Amino acid sequence: MSVGHVQRAIETGGISTVSIMVESFAHIPGLMNLPRTLVTPHPMGRPTGAPHDVKRQSEVVAAALDLFTSNDQVHRTFPGPYRSVD
Amino acid sequence: MTNSEDHVETLDEFAMSFFYGSRSDTGLKFMKDLTESEVGDFLTEMLTGVAAAIDDGNVTGLTERFLHWQKHAYLGHLGKFRFQYDDVPFVKPSKPLADSRVALLTSSGHFVQGDDPEPFGVKDMTQQEAENRIIEFVGSDPSLSAIPVDTPGANIRVRHGGYPVGPATQDHNVALPLDVLNTMAQTGVIGEVSANAYSFVGATSQIGLRKKIAPQWAQQLVDDEVDLALLIPL
Repeated sequence: MSVGHVQRAIETGGISTVSIMVESFAHIPGLMNLPRTLVTPHPMGRPTGAPHDVKRQSEVVAAALDLFTSNDQVHRTFPGPYRSVD
Repeated sequence: MTNSEDHVETLDEFAMSFFYGSRSDTGLKFMKDLTESEVGDFLTEMLTGVAAAIDDGNVTGLTERFLHWQKHAYLGHLGKFRFQYDDVPFVKPSKPLADSRVALLTSSGHFVQGDDPEPFGVKDMTQQEAENRIIEFVGSDPSLSAIPVDTPGANIRVRHGGYPVGPATQDHNVALPLDVLNTMAQTGVIGEVSANAYSFVGATSQIGLRKKIAPQWAQQLVDDEVDLALLIPL
């Protein structure tokens, strides 16, 4: 919720934004009408992935930045499971 | 367990004790939003999942059930959600990603060693004290910590009374993915990372944040000449 306020303010200020949220907050983007959001199948406290799971963290950030190609509001879900599989 | 000689702890009381109580655990505090029956189901699934994982070493199913119940508990907050909007602020990026300056801002409570925001004037506040003073945090305005993006990971600290900081303590990238963004800049995926990342404690006064603070932070990113912003709540 806190970041939702900040995201709306930054976008209103003229800068394109995207947020990464864990699944427990999946209802926030719709209620707060956020412009771009990636929801990850991770427990609270690990929005980009497990500690030292560089592969997952990199994939999540890349997927979030990919939302900047959308011409409209977009909410996308990153596929599970929690940990990346080699 | 008994709280006194005459009182046998109920399952509801057991669940509530994880919410800033005798068993305070921010990773398990969501149990307070489950019904007593649901707490029973959650615990049963966790115990049977652990028993199975002992043999096969696979915790994927256990993790998925944990996530299911955590999400179910937080959905219980929907009816109380005050900040709903009909309009969508939306700005199309002005540059390709490979030419863009990208900023990172999180509500994870990270800061640089030696630049502690010292909430309520307390030096070296511990994680435990932050949890103990969570009510004061949610009633106060937040402060924004600037984190130079070339800060060594060993110098990055985290403290936040509202979520489990263990993973972020082990590896800041779980919530503050500086290493990932720096690699993306080095490989040309993005133009550059803005010189400072920013972090604050998301457990804060929502009114003050929305009306006063957030617009100031937005102006900070404008002053940083940022093209795109990546935001990460906890």
